[in-house]
Order: sequence, then structure tokens, then C-alpha cells
Amino acid sequence: MHKLWIIIKSEYLQVVKKKSFLVGILLTPLFMVGITVVPTMLAQKKSASTEKIAIVDLDTAGVGERFAKGLEEYRLEDGQPSYGVDAIYRPADTVALAELQQRLDSMILDKRLKYYLIIFNNVENTDSVFLVGKSFGFSTNSRFERKMSHILAEMRLEKSDINLDVDSVLRLTRSMDLIQKAPGGKERDFFTLYLGGIIFVMIIFGTVIGYGQILMRSVIEEKNSRIMEVLVSSVSPFQLMAGKIVGLGLASLTQVLIWGVIGAGLYVFRGNLNITADIAGILFNPVFIFFFITYLLLGYIMFSTLFALIGSMVNTDKEAQGFIFPITMTLILPVILAAYLIQEPDSTVAVVLSLIPFFSPTMMILRLNFIGADSFSLANPIILEAFAGLVITALTALLIIWLTAKVFRVGILMYGKRPTLPEIIKWIRHG
Amino acid sequence: MQEYLRLENITKSYGDKVAVAGLSLSVPKGSIYGIIGPNGAGKTTSIRMIMDIIAPDSGKILIEGAEVRRDFKNNVGYLPEERGLYKKHTVEEIILLLGEIKNCPRKELSSRMDPWLDKLNLLEYKRKKVEELSKGMAQKLQFITTLIHQPKLIILDELFSGLDPLNIELIKNILLDEKRRGTTILFSTHVMEQAEKLCDYLCMIHRGEKVLDGKLADVKARFGKNTIQIQMEGDGAFMRQIPGVEKVSEFNNYIELKLSEGAIPQDILKAVTDKVTVSRFEIMEPSLYNIFIETAGVRPSEVTVSAGGGHA
Repeated sequence: MHKLWIIIKSEYLQVVKKKSFLVGILLTPLFMVGITVVPTMLAQKKSASTEKIAIVDLDTAGVGERFAKGLEEYRLEDGQPSYGVDAIYRPADTVALAELQQRLDSMILDKRLKYYLIIFNNVENTDSVFLVGKSFGFSTNSRFERKMSHILAEMRLEKSDINLDVDSVLRLTRSMDLIQKAPGGKERDFFTLYLGGIIFVMIIFGTVIGYGQILMRSVIEEKNSRIMEVLVSSVSPFQLMAGKIVGLGLASLTQVLIWGVIGAGLYVFRGNLNITADIAGILFNPVFIFFFITYLLLGYIMFSTLFALIGSMVNTDKEAQGFIFPITMTLILPVILAAYLIQEPDSTVAVVLSLIPFFSPTMMILRLNFIGADSFSLANPIILEAFAGLVITALTALLIIWLTAKVFRVGILMYGKRPTLPEIIKWIRHG
Repeated sequence: MQEYLRLENITKSYGDKVAVAGLSLSVPKGSIYGIIGPNGAGKTTSIRMIMDIIAPDSGKILIEGAEVRRDFKNNVGYLPEERGLYKKHTVEEIILLLGEIKNCPRKELSSRMDPWLDKLNLLEYKRKKVEELSKGMAQKLQFITTLIHQPKLIILDELFSGLDPLNIELIKNILLDEKRRGTTILFSTHVMEQAEKLCDYLCMIHRGEKVLDGKLADVKARFGKNTIQIQMEGDGAFMRQIPGVEKVSEFNNYIELKLSEGAIPQDILKAVTDKVTVSRFEIMEPSLYNIFIETAGVRPSEVTVSAGGGHA
């Protein structure tokens, strides 16, 4: 036990004392914010100058004019109108329309025009409107959609025999935003759920890949520097492997802990930072935290043992790359599938995938985040599945540890040629 | 003499290749014991089995009459053939780490460290990183890490490999000091001349099998005083024709002659001085090299002759 502790301490200090550890602590959150929040913010960014649009109105009821007037309400931050209607065209026939469209297209390519809108005849009944442009912003799209629906509704209303003023009818038909809540009453917002899930998966991914590779490199380095033989003449190969895994695991926990403290600090001193109840709901949900930490630990143990196995078999980082790729793919799969999982976190495919050993840690965390659970009640299928996943992951981890211990013993003293599969099988048999 | 380490019929094969075939040997307590043989003879495999790094296919390893227990490693100082240390650790850190995993208390390590570093001229490098040391200094540092926990048994694989003559002298003297404290020392080498100068007991192995073993003096006596060493100027090729010379072995700066039975050394001297100028003429026991060639029945090209370190 004493020796194990010395190895743990040595491995822990080797990582924590490095400058890269501090850099990782600071850079990783920035990176995560970078890949998740920034693109979203950019997409939502309002344009800074007035966008020129043209309207081609093939209808005769004055929809174009109404639309142009309706756009006047949108203003940029400096008070300038968001949209400037260049002209409203009324081509006489299809030949003229074709000519006009050609002209407008070239204006868009020359950047003299941002969009043009074609309102077809009888739009009132057909809803037939096109928006032509090189690129479309989220907000412009939804504004135009809303404005046009509004105008068409008004027109239909005016022609109908309902004897009410327009405003009250519009109030009657007003569309609303659906607020999503989990059973139990917590508010849930699609965007937060998606982002939250991805962030937690990224933490697992980053920890496993990051520390797994550190572990693998340290085994390779010890092999190459030949200190390995001195080490195993004092401690057993298993103690060495376990010491490395635990030592680096503690280093990664230190990192997560520091992030947690930073996060909690930001939350306490958030001031006018707008943190929604959803994020708070995830961060301070003991059920989720329990599963997150257990999956993080088990996943780390399982994958880092695998990395130790790889390290003991190869001689250079380069040789290891071929083995690392499948591990990376296994861990990144939930991120690829997240868009599907968030819609159907309960589907058979989702359940089965999240119970497959190597997928379990990340998949289950993603599903837990999407479905949400407030208590450890086994009546809730996701809790039952999450526990089943833990057992499966733990058993797989044990199997890998057993296997690795056998290969590790032999592999760490093998220099030179990379072993072939039959050789490895022999090591396992005789180990 | 009391026995410290005993190997009984140890065998290890890798696939079809037999690395060690039924090796038995007995290392007396407080002796310097040399395992000698050419590269690939099975020395490293045998030592790794003693160190419990690899398991023998069959046979027993006994320490003071009892089967090896795991904590026995704490009483052993092991210097493997392939040497290396953590590059990023400081000299001090590496000594503490490698000492602590031998269960040696940190305090004792700290108090023993400076005298050791001083003895090997490394004291000023105490807080330097290993990567800043020269190769020779790193070797000496590794030697310290092998001995600092005061092991009862020191095992040195290819002891002389990579050491310059000055350091070889230094390390030999330290080993003799250790022997005086009652430590048992087991080393392996393929450089027979070096072994001859250091060991009390020896075991020669070839292709995984023991060729002969015993006390150095006894082994030599067994082969009689039928060897002559000659240092001289000129070409010694003619000596093969001198009657009574059975075999000629040419070394870097001397020639060794093995005489047939009944040959008289004086006659040989006369025959030699007729042709060349002799600066040294000595009747002696046969060298381990010749004993090995003779007993193992190998071609001389299979065995490294020259001293001075670098192994093939």
C-alpha cells in the first residue's frame, strides 16, 4: 500500500507541477465556451447596418406596401431602420418578371441589395412568398415570417364577415411560445438542455482523452528511457499501473474541482449575468451530479486503463495513434448523435446505445441531462438504466484492468518491434 | 560458507527459443558473484527471473533457503542492463522516489544522499534535472539509486556497460566497500577480463546452459598453470609453430599461449626471444576467456575479448 501511495504521489505531482496543467485549467473552459457559446452568439448577432431589400409584388391587394411599412418598426441599436426598402416592383408579365429577377440577382451578387421578396398573385390564399438572398439571418427570417403572416391574417380578416376589430381577432389568434417543463415542474429549455448536455459530455471526453493520453505517454516514456525495469524491480507492474491511473485520476479530479469552484464563484457573484433556472437546475441537481461524477470516474478508469494497455504495447506516440482513433470516436459519438437523442432520449436505440459499455458514460450523461430526474427513484426508467449502465461500465472496467494487467507485465519490458495480435493473446494466456 | 541466493533448475523459454535451460547456482553470502557469458547467453533473463520481473517456466529461486517473497525486492538493489531515469526529475527527486519505493524512509534517504553524491562527484548537481547530466553522470546517479537503500543483495546486469575506465575503478571500489559490509553482490558481464578482476565466485553460461561454476581460484586451479602471457613488439604469428604451444590467443597488447602438457616455459621463452623483443613474460593461470572457449567449445569470435566497457 505504501509503495502504491508513493507512485500515486509521484504521478500526481508530475502532472500538477507542470505549467501545462495550469494552462489546461484556464484554456479548457475558454475552449468549451468558444465552441459552444460563441457560434450561437454570432448566429444571433443583429446586423449593424441597414439591410436593403426589394419587393416584387405580383399581387394587387397592396401586400408589398403593407410589408414595407411593417418593416419600419425594426430599428438598429443606433436608431437607424434595420431594413430599407429599395423599391416595390410590379412586373407586367412573366418576361418582365424574369428580366427583373435577373437584374435583382446581379444586384445581390454586387452587394447593392441584401434580399428581395417575391409576393405571388393571390398570396392571400396560397401563402406563396419567396425570399431570395445569398444568406439569411435567424432573426430576419423569423421577423419576415411573422410580419407576413400577420399581414395575410389581417387581409383575410378584413374580407371575412367576422364583426370584430382587427386587434381583438389578432389577440384571439395570437401565437405563443411553449414553455417546456420536466415532470415535477422544472422548466426546461431546448437550447440550455442541448448545450448543457454537450458541455458535460465534453468534460468527460476531455478528461478521458487528455489524461488517458498523458498516462499512455508516461508509459511510453518510461519504456523508452528504460526506467521501467527499475520501477518494476521495486513495485509490481500492477501497483505501477494502478498508481499511475489513480495519480492521474486525482490530477484530473483536481482540475474538475477547480472548475467547479470557479463555476460556483461565478454563480455566486453573477451580478447581472443572466443565468437561467435551467442551468442552475442542472448544476445543483444532486441526482445528476452523482451520476456525472460516478460516470466520469468509471469512464476515466475504463479508458485510461485502455490507454495504459496501448502504452505498454507500442514504442512511440506515432504507433499509438492508430489505437487512439477508435477511442476518440467512441467518446465523441454522443455529440454527433445529440441532436437525435434530445428529441428521442427514450427511444430503444438511445437506451441500447447508452447500455453498451464504451458508450455508456457519455451517452447516459447526455440522456440523463435531456430527460431529467430529481430523485433516485427506480420507478423512473432513466434512473434504473443509469444504474444498470454504471454496473456495466464497472464490469467492463474490471475486465479491461484484468486484461491490461496481463499484457502490461510483458509489454512494458518489450522494446523494439510492436507485438502482433497473436503475440498479445499469448501474453494474456501466459501472463 | 553460508548461502544467500540459490537457483534450482530454472528454465525459461520464449516460444521455441529456450533462453535459460535448467540453470542452478548458489551464491554465497557476502561474496561477489559473476555470471559470465557472451551476449544472448541468458544472463539478463536469469537476472530478471531472480528479480521476479518475469516468471520462470519451472524451477525454484530461494533466498536464504526460503522461497522468494514479494517484499524481498526491498532488500535488493537492481541495476538493469538498459539504464534510464526520468529526465524531468531532479537528482534529489529521483533518489528520493526510487529509494521510497524500496520502502526506505525519506529521512534516511535524505541523510545518506549527500555523502553518496559527494563520493561520486555529483553533489553540485543535486538540484539539477537529470536531462542536464552527462551520460556518465547519469550512470553514476543510477548507481547511487541502486545502493542508497542499503540492500542486502546487489544485482548488476552488464555492470560495465557504458562506463569509462575511471568510473569502473570508482564503482569497483564502492562494490568492495559494500562487500566488506556483508552485502552479497551478483553481477553479469560479457567482458571476461573485467569479471576476472572483480569476482570471488563465478558461473559461466552459454546458450542458456551452465558451462561451469565455482570459486574463481578453484576454477583456475582446475585448468592448471599452463598459460603464458607475453608482451612484445612485432608480429606474434610465428608462435603457432613453436613446439609445445597448443593455442595462441591475441589480445590488444599481449598474446596468450596455452601450452600442451609437459611443455617447458623456458624453452618457449627462448624460442620467442630469438625472433622478437619481449617486454613481459609471465607464467599464469589461464584467463576466463580461454577457460570459457575451452569448456563451452565455442569459436573465439562469439566471445567479446576487449575490456573497457561498450558492449556489442
